[in-house]
Amino acid sequence: MDFTISTVAPIVLLPFLAFAINAFIVKRFTTLGVILSCASILGSFFYASRIFFHFLNVYNTDYVIHKTFTWFDLSYGEFPFKLDMGIYIDNMTATMLFMVTGVATLIHIFSTYYMKDDKRYGRFFVYLSLFTSAMLALVVSENLLSVFIFWELMGFCSYSLIGFYYEKEGAGNANIKAFMTTRVGDVFFLFGILAIWSVVGSVSFVDIYAALGAGKFNGLYALGIPLATLAGASIFMGTVGKSAQFPLQVWLPDAMWGPTPCSALIHAATMVAAGVYLSLRCYPLMEAGHLTYVIATIGGITAFGAATIALVQTDIKAVLAYSTISQLGYMVLGVGVGSYNAAFMHLITHAVFKACLFLSAGSVIHSLHDHHTHAHVQEMPRMGGLKDKMPFTFLAMLCCTLAIAGIPFFSGFVSKDRILGDALLMALHNKWYWIPTVLGFGGALLTAFYMFRMMFLTFFGEPRDKDLYDHTKKETLSWNRNVPLLILSVFTLGVFYAGSLSGQGIVKVAHEKYEWFQTLIAKPHVETFTAKAPQAFGWTDEGSMTVSEKSHYDPDHGLSEEEAHHVHHVHHIGALVSIVIAFSGVFIAFMMYITRKWNPGFWVSLFSGWYRALQNKYYFDDFYIKGLIQKGLIPLNNLLAFIDMGIYDRYAVDGWEKVNRAMFTMAKWFDNIIVDTVAVDGTGASVRFFNVILRTIQSGKIQFYFIMIILVLTGYIWTLNI
Amino acid sequence: MISLPSYLFLSFALFIAGIAVMVARKNIIAIMLGIELILNSAALNFAAYTRFANDNIDGHLMSLFIIVIAAAEAAVGLAIVIRFFQIKETIHIDDAAQLQN
Amino acid sequence: MFNDTFFLLSAGLTLAGALGVVFTKNLMHACVMLLGTLFGVAGLYACIGADFLAASQLVIYAGGVVILMLFAVMLTGGSSDQANKFGIEKIAGMGNTKTYIFAGVSVAVISLTLLKIMAGYMKTFEQGELPPLTSTVEEIGTLLVTDHVLAFEISSILLLGALVGAAAIARPRKG
Repeated sequence: MDFTISTVAPIVLLPFLAFAINAFIVKRFTTLGVILSCASILGSFFYASRIFFHFLNVYNTDYVIHKTFTWFDLSYGEFPFKLDMGIYIDNMTATMLFMVTGVATLIHIFSTYYMKDDKRYGRFFVYLSLFTSAMLALVVSENLLSVFIFWELMGFCSYSLIGFYYEKEGAGNANIKAFMTTRVGDVFFLFGILAIWSVVGSVSFVDIYAALGAGKFNGLYALGIPLATLAGASIFMGTVGKSAQFPLQVWLPDAMWGPTPCSALIHAATMVAAGVYLSLRCYPLMEAGHLTYVIATIGGITAFGAATIALVQTDIKAVLAYSTISQLGYMVLGVGVGSYNAAFMHLITHAVFKACLFLSAGSVIHSLHDHHTHAHVQEMPRMGGLKDKMPFTFLAMLCCTLAIAGIPFFSGFVSKDRILGDALLMALHNKWYWIPTVLGFGGALLTAFYMFRMMFLTFFGEPRDKDLYDHTKKETLSWNRNVPLLILSVFTLGVFYAGSLSGQGIVKVAHEKYEWFQTLIAKPHVETFTAKAPQAFGWTDEGSMTVSEKSHYDPDHGLSEEEAHHVHHVHHIGALVSIVIAFSGVFIAFMMYITRKWNPGFWVSLFSGWYRALQNKYYFDDFYIKGLIQKGLIPLNNLLAFIDMGIYDRYAVDGWEKVNRAMFTMAKWFDNIIVDTVAVDGTGASVRFFNVILRTIQSGKIQFYFIMIILVLTGYIWTLNI
Repeated sequence: MISLPSYLFLSFALFIAGIAVMVARKNIIAIMLGIELILNSAALNFAAYTRFANDNIDGHLMSLFIIVIAAAEAAVGLAIVIRFFQIKETIHIDDAAQLQN
Repeated sequence: MFNDTFFLLSAGLTLAGALGVVFTKNLMHACVMLLGTLFGVAGLYACIGADFLAASQLVIYAGGVVILMLFAVMLTGGSSDQANKFGIEKIAGMGNTKTYIFAGVSVAVISLTLLKIMAGYMKTFEQGELPPLTSTVEEIGTLLVTDHVLAFEISSILLLGALVGAAAIARPRKG
């Protein structure tokens, strides 16, 4: 199989086509439009699977499909200005394509169940199609600029879907908040692209890697900061915004105003993961900029902090939202500690189990219908005992909860454990890395606790709202509700990620050497990587860099036997610790919410200050609104308004008006006397004169014209004198 | 009897008749009949010269194309006449005088 | 002998038809006279071996164009004794004196011109040995798709345009 742009394009274009058609027809032909959307994403999934299995067949770490065409070329002499567009598909992209199309297909199917009775049923699918198309285009993008374009397009879809129920004031505010917050990160991202362009003269990933390998970034400074650091940090800010990392995490919980399937697709599985995907793509740049420690720390803080907030949430979707932030923090932590493929594996496993969790939550919410307010119920204090009412949803959610909590044999364990193991390895080499590592392990404990708290509060115990419970119908199996849950929960098993899916397609042995993920996903290959630390920041030294380079598994570039042994040893310790931590988290939840031996109220009263802080989400929203916006932006705005109205408007604009008025008087005189009287009227008079002559022969009678023709023609023939 | 002069004379007669119709008649359809006569005279000339004063038969093709174009012209012309009649309720040539002055 | 008779018949039909078209008052009759002319011209074609042309003439003109003319005549009234709101006859049979004068002058001028040209040509013309009559269909077919293929294609486009244009122009519209 030979893949070109035109064979890869259907992946992106099919959903886009569905969007383009649906945008016009979906209002009248809703069912047709929905079928079109689902069919297009299914077709896209088919194409993506072809690529994915092609890559599995090739089974080569360095195998890349890279095709470009020139978008525009404004080169002038020595000055190159050429932009390419195209596709860059390596193993990571192929896996990502497979995951995104697969999850999106299942969510499309689930949406036909969840959104069926919504009055904007069709419009939802229009947005879903556009979003999927943009996400897939981002994944296959060959350069940072097209990544940025589709990144913004996804931001727009996210905005529209968060504000899907725009009648509610909260939804309207939430979408503006999400849009503005991510915009902060995007501005930095654009800045980073420009910084890279200024050095490399291209924004293609391949060119960036080559430039890094050739050491083009060496010795370049801006504002006293190495340019690689500046560019890497700016691009990482894009990740921070999109993936809701500290300190821009505030938008993601509010994004839960959108319909649950869109939360599953956009705000859990794909779009927020795009930020991490970007970080992984630009990983060599981050490493060259000595940013790994910053990234690891931000990831650790996010992973732990979001997990603490999730402890006190009562809304089932809010718990999931904070757990999403927390898990994204793990991915970023993985990027920071150089655990490249574990971070990506966590991206994939998280996408699967978090999509499933959201869909299950959607299934629960959809079933619970309050007959007094005619609204769906999301509050966990009103649930309880639901496992008898909806056993299938319960089972699916249980699988995913086990996965996210890091119980062995489930996918979350495999990926999270590897990230934590690598973090531990880094910490043993460099004491500063203990901070993110400990935060990561602490977050794992909290994750196991709050996820099982959610499970216990929702599905176990006595129903706390008897009326609601009695009105809830018993779950019956339906294809568009349970099939997506079933498929996704099957894929929470760890064996799919840690097993061997080589060309032979059989699960060989659970040995690292044969695990397809370990083998295929590797850091971008950068030639002669120069890591001369410029010592701009105190924490970067050469020691940390060399460790970070070695800390990932790399079956091709073998570590020495002793080092490999050490790595395995540390990983075993890490795995053991995570297992203990996961089970103790589950145990605490069990004691608090099933046996009720330990009273949660006691702990709340003990840490009442913290509890209030957690309920207020660490006062981030208050700080942003009261501190930054009211104290900073609004006075600045007033000042700018004063400059604009008081100075610029009064003197410059009004003064210019006076000048114009004088000019106008002169021009008017000239116009009246010279142009109008002499030129225009004179022309008119001459035309009228000739008109009198010409109009007499324009009788309008066709036969008269005909006779004229004949006479002229015969006259002409006579003159020829034949 | 069958010779070029006789054909040329026939063609000439058709042409004169067509001109006379076009000039003297006041009915648009009648004028189109005149046009058909003129086209036929031209086609007949082509055919005659092909037979009597030429080696190849390209003249036949010319006649053929004249017939084709005449058919197209008749279709469009009559469509215009019908449309004109719908608007003006007449097909008198002097009523089609919007170009006057 | 047969050829000469046929030629005389055809020529007579042609001339009679043409004169009929010029002098008939009734438009219906004028159309039928035109039909006679067209048949005569087809016969003239046949006399000089243009068999394909004769057939085309019959099929396209007699079968298509004249029928079209008749339809147009009938669609636009048919009889000559109705007057429209301007007081002009709806179906103008003939012109008036002024047009006759104009017609006479034009015809005279053109006749003079053409006869002058033809006279000069006839004097110098000498008829050589004529080749035998053969079927031209095959040769015309070959030429249409080889030498004259461009004209052929353009005429097809022209016909298409005429078809669409005629339909577009004549379709009834509101207001």
